[in-house]
Amino acid sequence: MPRIIAVLLFALGIGSLEAQDRPIAIRGGTVIPMSGPQIPNGTLVLRGGKIVAVGANVSVPAGAEVIDARGKFVMPGVVDAVSHIGIDANDLNEPTDPMTPQNRAWESYNPFGTFGSGKPNPLRNIEGLTGGVTTMYIAPADAQLLGGQGAIVKTAGATLDAVLVKEPAAIDIALGTPPKAVARAANRDPATRMAEVAMLRQILVKGQEYERNKQSNPSLARDLGMEALGKLLRKEIPARIQANNATDIRSALRLREEFAIDVIIDGGAGAWEFKDELAAKKIPVVLGQVSHQYVSNEEIPDKQDYPTPDERLAGRLTNAGVPTALATFSRSFGSLAPAGTGKWLLIDAGIAAGYGMTEDQVLKAVTLVPAQILGVADRVGSLEVGKDADVVILDGPPLSVKTWVQRVYVNGELVYTK
Amino acid sequence: MHPARLLLVAAAIGLTHSASAQTDEAILVRGAIIHTAAGAPIPNGAVLVRGGKIAALGTNVTAPAGARIIEAAGKVVIPGMIDNHSHIGARPTDLNDTPMLIGPQHRFIDALDWNDPDFADAVSGGVTTIVTGPGSGENVSGMAAVIKTFGTDYSKRMLLEKGGMKFAMGVKGRTRYPATTMGVAANLRQYLIKTQEYVAAQKKWEDDGKKGNPPARDLGYEAMSDVLAKRTYVRSHVHSATDVMTLVRLKDEFGFDLTLHHSTEAYKVAPELAKRGISAVVLPLGPRIGLGEDAMAGPYILWKAGVKVAMHTDAPVINQKWLRLCAALAMRYGIPEEEALKMVTRNAAEIARVGDRAGSIEVGKDADLVILDGAWYEPKSRVDVVIGDGQVIYERAKEAK
Repeated sequence: MPRIIAVLLFALGIGSLEAQDRPIAIRGGTVIPMSGPQIPNGTLVLRGGKIVAVGANVSVPAGAEVIDARGKFVMPGVVDAVSHIGIDANDLNEPTDPMTPQNRAWESYNPFGTFGSGKPNPLRNIEGLTGGVTTMYIAPADAQLLGGQGAIVKTAGATLDAVLVKEPAAIDIALGTPPKAVARAANRDPATRMAEVAMLRQILVKGQEYERNKQSNPSLARDLGMEALGKLLRKEIPARIQANNATDIRSALRLREEFAIDVIIDGGAGAWEFKDELAAKKIPVVLGQVSHQYVSNEEIPDKQDYPTPDERLAGRLTNAGVPTALATFSRSFGSLAPAGTGKWLLIDAGIAAGYGMTEDQVLKAVTLVPAQILGVADRVGSLEVGKDADVVILDGPPLSVKTWVQRVYVNGELVYTK
Repeated sequence: MHPARLLLVAAAIGLTHSASAQTDEAILVRGAIIHTAAGAPIPNGAVLVRGGKIAALGTNVTAPAGARIIEAAGKVVIPGMIDNHSHIGARPTDLNDTPMLIGPQHRFIDALDWNDPDFADAVSGGVTTIVTGPGSGENVSGMAAVIKTFGTDYSKRMLLEKGGMKFAMGVKGRTRYPATTMGVAANLRQYLIKTQEYVAAQKKWEDDGKKGNPPARDLGYEAMSDVLAKRTYVRSHVHSATDVMTLVRLKDEFGFDLTLHHSTEAYKVAPELAKRGISAVVLPLGPRIGLGEDAMAGPYILWKAGVKVAMHTDAPVINQKWLRLCAALAMRYGIPEEEALKMVTRNAAEIARVGDRAGSIEVGKDADLVILDGAWYEPKSRVDVVIGDGQVIYERAKEAK
């Protein structure tokens, strides 16, 4: 009977509503904290959804559930710096309006019934969890010039609200072929790169004017899009600007100077040309998958619009001092996707270890660095006391194709078991 | 094989080919573990190539005088890989002649740019032979080509001009017939019947002593008649199990040879494929978002059922140089290492009907080899050297750092 009640509570999601109170001690594994060197035979203690101890000589609290991790590897949850998983293909972009800053990706986010089990509760993004992804930035796609506001979510939780980490997290912008091609096909603007930048400049100027008018006239009619741009112009949130080739990256950097906004370059295949400026100003770059370097919603983009893929880029940028993350840019469920999902992020990033990056640098590029770029490194990205208890246990070295994610904890709760 | 006999074979091969080979330089790769795709791996093995062919293989192969020696201790040697399904070498706008729903008369070589930089990219990843063909925008989109990815002599690069007839199931019109799965099947069946009638009319004219003018030629039916006569075979893009079974029915009705491509749900009907000898070419990454682990284990289920499986990139959808990782993902779901390797070498070559020349390291086959600095399936391993037709065609050491 108690078992039935437990099952019932679990099914109702009640079990997971309360913060994890029984401590969990993960003991004996090779701990990769990201914030410091690997700890062979390390112990990690989780309590109340947070990491409360990590190290080689950590005592196991009384009453703790002990997880034997001997022979295993223990690392922080992977952070996917851009993904569209959980947004229906038809919800990724507005087809008629190139700029919709009022749109919030969060309000398209609908993982119910599409994440493997089909059961409504609790939320499990299996596609990410099987690859150890526990946090991701979700955004509108690149068929619009300015798709709207992105959000940062966890891949598991009791309810939609419980998985939310930060919203809005950024204003999502795309330069280059994808928005242009869609607009051209519909015989509207922006049909050229010139029009793309001009339209962005115009809407940002409008945003500045709206801010000014709002200050002098508090009863001014509210404009939700302009309010969102205000957050960008006040540097409360950055702009994520998808820019692959040099022309588009240069435009993104110019907008950054002109409007004094924070900018994160998404895609960045041509970023090497700007390494000095990017490094000096600590402008982050979020690269796509190493095996699939251009970032685009086109199934087969025209090569002339993208730089030649270069697997060395992540290592070169990192070593030049540019904050560089590797992300999936994963398409939505059911779409014909050119690249993989969170499931493959570690394996794909492993390629970079053959191209001038240490394994430690590669692992950071999918954990701590994206957490810092997303502005949530106080909560995720490394195994440090006080951070969220997002932990992945693997049966081998994280970057080997033979390795499987065995267990994933999010906020101290076991949310995935292979 | 006894070393002395190996040398004899080596000499024979060398003699046979010395007249036609571009250079006579023999290359001996030694000290590596050699995965031949035709038997157990050979630790500390050596392979001698000469005249474009594999001349000797074993643990005790002697270099002939003047041979270049590649010391490969600690390295891994595998056959030059074969990508059984890609669209390399043509502009994206040349892949699909979408207004024509059934266009078997199209030949991919008519759109092929032999100098496309994608070929060099493929070589750098150890891919030496590919099937490249039209896209999936039509129900029948034309004839694929089987080519080598390297070399300046196009006639030598071409292995098969009739490299399989591309079908695509699940491709439906929105504003014209056929707009349903039923319609696609009916339309294909009708075309195949018309091909039979076309062939019969030709035959009748011949049987009647070729009197009068021959029947008017139709290049579409003519091309499809190659399929019905098994001079080539059907390569069909297919995702759903429903469409797989439609193809199986068409095969049973018309008797053509069939391979499935992408094959997303083929695992659900694996026994039906195994008993008919239908092979499956699988794309591990692309269109699988959200399908879950059952579908990811599809290649394993197919292999277990006895279906011949190859893994493919669909390049440029996935960059061709990462073909080896497509096989690695199959391995991850339970296929043994040597069997997984076959899925991008021997099986891929046999399905492409070039198994007599490519796909394994065996004496007499084309000398296409890849030397890696670590396990072929690990992401961080790098391709160090690629040998194609017996010559070094890629050296990582000569690449820009």
